[in-house]
Amino acid sequence: MHRTATRSHFQIQRDVIYALLLRELSSRFGQRRGGIFWAMVEPIAHLLVPVMIFTFIRIRLISGVDYPVFLVYGFLPFLLFKAICLQIINGMDSSRRLLAYRQVLLMDVFIATAIANAVIQAVVIIIVLTGLAMFGFDVLPPRPVELAAMLALTAMFGFGLGLVLAAIANLVPDSRSVIKIMFMPLYFMSGILFPVTRFPDEWLRLLAFNPVLHLVELTRSMGVEGYEPFKYVSLAYPVTLAFTFTVVGLMLYRLRFLTRVTP
Amino acid sequence: MISLHNVTKSYMTLTGRKVVFRNLSLDLPEGVNVGLIGRNGAGKSTLMRIISSVDLPDSGEIVTKGRISWPVGLKGGIEKKLTGRDNVKFVCRIQGVRKAGMKEKIRYVQEFAELGDYFDRPVSNYSSGMRARLAFGTSMAFEFDYYLIDEVMAVGDARFKHKSRIVFKERLQKSKIILVSHSMKLIRKMCDAVILLEHGQATYYNDAREGIAAYRKTGGEP
Repeated sequence: MHRTATRSHFQIQRDVIYALLLRELSSRFGQRRGGIFWAMVEPIAHLLVPVMIFTFIRIRLISGVDYPVFLVYGFLPFLLFKAICLQIINGMDSSRRLLAYRQVLLMDVFIATAIANAVIQAVVIIIVLTGLAMFGFDVLPPRPVELAAMLALTAMFGFGLGLVLAAIANLVPDSRSVIKIMFMPLYFMSGILFPVTRFPDEWLRLLAFNPVLHLVELTRSMGVEGYEPFKYVSLAYPVTLAFTFTVVGLMLYRLRFLTRVTP
Repeated sequence: MISLHNVTKSYMTLTGRKVVFRNLSLDLPEGVNVGLIGRNGAGKSTLMRIISSVDLPDSGEIVTKGRISWPVGLKGGIEKKLTGRDNVKFVCRIQGVRKAGMKEKIRYVQEFAELGDYFDRPVSNYSSGMRARLAFGTSMAFEFDYYLIDEVMAVGDARFKHKSRIVFKERLQKSKIILVSHSMKLIRKMCDAVILLEHGQATYYNDAREGIAAYRKTGGEP
């Protein structure tokens, strides 16, 4: 019988991540007829429904900026952040049984789901932007390199925060529902549907504590021609938090806070 | 070789911390089929989970040498949305088996599990017997130094059970097993040595019959 060849740690990890990535993508898309279509409909609808509603009632929120483009570039970082962050908690729960295969590490599961989500988000965003371009909107980002860097930062922020939240969810199992519900207010506090500059100044000072708002505003300013983020937005704040969460999260992972079973 | 050094494992429950093992040290010598016996809740499955690295101890160290299987017949690793074939491919990729090797494994499982057309349908369409056959077939497609078996080994109808037994016996020419079971008959048949778990401690018996006798004295099953 065929003997399994000896592999280095790096080779094992590469094989495992590849296997998990294929498993994730094909279980989401492959198996049913029209699987790809249905897997894409949800995130696209997420973008298109508010775009259509707010475009029809024709509110002009900011002069010189097309609202649908404004909306799409706001949703993009938020959905990327949310997907990666939540998938780490879900991945920890749903993939625990896969750890029975000795080669599979929880970190491999996280990396594979993060890649899968980034790929799906990229495809969705390209479809939506192409659709908007066909209706004559100017969708091309004026600063594409900076935009990509901002999205990478957003992904890293989601990854780091996801690790920290997963450790909390593992220690206190009941916190999962609270964590999931938190994304709802966060969505409204991140200035996705309309610019927050309509709020009074003292509100803005409070809202500026929300790092996701900074990520949304910065991404938007890279993707939308003529868009200026509001005055309290800084790059340093989300960068510091993204690094802090990632370092703390990796430490918690290293100390096995995510793998120890606490039923 | 599998050895445990000062392994402590506890679980948090509503009424406080429940310690399963405290400072457990064990050496399983090479080339011995080992049975894990003990009452319900003595920690047989927990020890198995720790050996198979599904679960981690609170403290202590586990050193293993040689290839150790995932728990034989593990159904948890099967993704229901994927076909039987894709599930086998997944395990092959993890094990680093590709191309011709993968083809060979797929053919082996396909023949062994006798799933017919269902092999190319999502596992969610399978009956529980078919799922068990797929899982068992996948375990048998790979060669290990140790097979970990938790209780249920025989799956399927009488004919399939018979076939499984033959394949397993053949595999045991080269490999060893670690078996958790409440059936002393099975333990006597399959194992040379046993580990008796009670009160968070483990006693190793070189002779399986001796261990079973000691277990009976404490009121274990016949």
